Amino acid sequence: MGAKNKKVGVIVSIMLVGGALTYLALGNFGENLVYFFTPSEVKAFSSEYYQKKVRVGGMVVEGSMEAYADRLGMTFELTDGEATIPVTFEGIPPDLFKEGQGAVVEGYWTNTHHFQSNLIMAKHSEDYMPIELKRAGVKLPRKDFMKTLVQ
Amino acid sequence: MIIEIGHFSVVIALVLSVFGIVSSFIAVQTRNVDWVRVGRISLTLIFILLFIGMASLIYSFLVRDFSVHYVAATSNSQLPLFYTVAAVWGGHEGSLLLWVFILSAFSTIAVWLHWRTQPAIMPYLIGTECLLILGFLLLIVFLSSPFERLIPTPADGKDLNPLLQDPAMVMHPPMLYMGYVGFSIPFSFAMAALFSGRLGEEWIKVTQRWTIFAWMCLTTGILMGGYWAYYELGWGGYWGWDPVENASFMPWLVGTAFLHSVMVQEKRKMFKVWNLFLIIVTFSLSLIGTFLVRSGVLTSVHTFATDPERGLYILIFVATIIGIAFGTLILRANKLKSQVEMDSMVSRESIFLFNNLFFLVAAATVFLGTLYPLMIETWQGAKVTVGPPYYNTVFMPIALGLLFLMGVGPYIPWRKASQASLKKNFVVPLAIGFVSTIVLFALDIHSVFALAGAFVVGFAGSNILIDFGKISLLYSRRESINLLKGSLLAFTSNQRRYAGMITHVGVLVLVIGIIASTVYQTEKVVSLRVGDEFVIEDYRIKLERIHEVRGKNWSAQEGVFEVYEGDTLLTTLRPQKRVYDASQTPTTESAIYAKNMGHIFLTMPDVSPDGVAVARGVINPLILWVWGGGGIMGLGVLLNIFRPRKKDE
Repeated sequence: MGAKNKKVGVIVSIMLVGGALTYLALGNFGENLVYFFTPSEVKAFSSEYYQKKVRVGGMVVEGSMEAYADRLGMTFELTDGEATIPVTFEGIPPDLFKEGQGAVVEGYWTNTHHFQSNLIMAKHSEDYMPIELKRAGVKLPRKDFMKTLVQ
Repeated sequence: MIIEIGHFSVVIALVLSVFGIVSSFIAVQTRNVDWVRVGRISLTLIFILLFIGMASLIYSFLVRDFSVHYVAATSNSQLPLFYTVAAVWGGHEGSLLLWVFILSAFSTIAVWLHWRTQPAIMPYLIGTECLLILGFLLLIVFLSSPFERLIPTPADGKDLNPLLQDPAMVMHPPMLYMGYVGFSIPFSFAMAALFSGRLGEEWIKVTQRWTIFAWMCLTTGILMGGYWAYYELGWGGYWGWDPVENASFMPWLVGTAFLHSVMVQEKRKMFKVWNLFLIIVTFSLSLIGTFLVRSGVLTSVHTFATDPERGLYILIFVATIIGIAFGTLILRANKLKSQVEMDSMVSRESIFLFNNLFFLVAAATVFLGTLYPLMIETWQGAKVTVGPPYYNTVFMPIALGLLFLMGVGPYIPWRKASQASLKKNFVVPLAIGFVSTIVLFALDIHSVFALAGAFVVGFAGSNILIDFGKISLLYSRRESINLLKGSLLAFTSNQRRYAGMITHVGVLVLVIGIIASTVYQTEKVVSLRVGDEFVIEDYRIKLERIHEVRGKNWSAQEGVFEVYEGDTLLTTLRPQKRVYDASQTPTTESAIYAKNMGHIFLTMPDVSPDGVAVARGVINPLILWVWGGGGIMGLGVLLNIFRPRKKDE
């Protein structure tokens, strides 16, 4: 093989392997995206969004949590201050999941207009709140934290 | 008072870092070695001043001075001493200070260590280090100071996040940072080489030990983080493709590509531009990783909603460093043309090339998955996440490909491999690979991942053993000594190579652990009352009683579970549901029993007032191999770093 041919060979094989790997990386990227919405946006969903996996962030409404009697799981309501959606959840919620606190749930909006979830995300800090909510103008617990310190 | 001394020291360090940059410039212009000395003194003083800064912060934590805002925000009077020290890097401000402190320490060590042997690049090296330090100090002093006072002073502080009150969390951030910062040394040497135009192999040879040290710290840091997540977060897994995990994984991937690829330049003087590119990318990703985690741009378990000013500053700083680095690289590109061309596709060079290709695609995948959501949010306003299934599908083939290359690379000759040598080196290992797959299949294991894994592990593993066995035999015959002595002699004859092979063995062990604990994990969640029991695999787990226990700053309900195998009592596991006093935060503490290199992992996530407990049992086969593999990898690196120096080093 001449020097030219060798070079071509090297480039072609890199392109082939690189191309295959890139295809692997990009090929199923789109279908693995999970979009994030607020309860208001979820309420406005058209039917094409039904049964599509999404995440919803909001505050758990005080007094709305109700555990199932016969199995693991519960129902509760999630709000962004404007709209409130009912959520059913199967499984064990994370430690920091509480009424009146921020939470992100993953699951499906069903045609019976409730959100069916199998994953609730816990956050490390208790004064964590979804950044989206901060933008939506919900009052920041961080400010309250300063008050509690000064007491 | 003490905290002001720290604050003042850090401000002076900032001024000195500017001074260090200026003196390096003058040194280059005037070619006067006295100015280089001035730079060295500045850098040393910066280290001492930042040490004082760290010490004053730690002191304020230890005396529980809640008039310091940062101390009040991350610790309180009930926090045990051990975790009080860890609280220093429990938040954003303190961890940045720790970062720059380690940076100044490593820089100072590097400058004193290489002063004699590398005089020509010294001013450039000092200048680069001071620039990096300046970038961090500006952030700390103006936007993110841990030295601020809080007036009026609160009676007690807020607690350190209970999840961070854990032994692994004491060491995890410093290890990770030592890894990130460690890469700044080869990066600075590379920049010095680019600025000075001394573009030989020198910078690579000088920094080889630094690189591998940084890699070891990063690997350990990542594994520690995984171990912490495993038993503290209570879901029984150790890696969740969380953005923050990804942030540390990206520099690891490119750093691993780099430490392989430099060998090609050392031996064959090829890949010159490529290696510079890799180290620039590795260090840039270290910076991006630090900032992603600490700026609040990523919504993840580690981040908090923080102010956007920091985010903007960070973006500008990282862009400046990357801009300068790549700008210089492009300007010097014509000087970097390699005189050597690749001889054949069937050669060690080409295996290294593909190794790099695989690692870079892997890094690009993580980068895409981690940052695509940010881009979409910026441009379209929509929020999106990329789930673990995506990473798992992409990484499985890439990892298997890399392991296969790992079995080929060290055993194929440089330049061009003859057919005879290929046959001699690879027929038996390939056969062993196939046999391992068949054996596993016969054992009723049908997971594609496990079967393909068995093939590559069998192939790569047998190659390592056969090669080392042959060499050991050769030495023991030649020197007429026994095989054990022969293998020791063989090992020391080329310690760099065989230390590397130990690390490879560690990787294989780790991979076996990952495959077994991922594919064959079983999980069971049940509700039960005292006296009830449940069965998971071969084990019967019985809830004996639930009682209250009290720790220094928490109280808990503890479930006492008896674990039986058949009728024999194996152990008693005591998972807890804790509530921390100060923050009233609940946590779930797991209880673990190790058996046959696997774990019986038990948590009790909930106890209702009427006495119904929720228990979650997980059986993780061979999970100890994951951490064990990590340990073997670390041993390999240590043997590499502390090998006797050869004449040409």
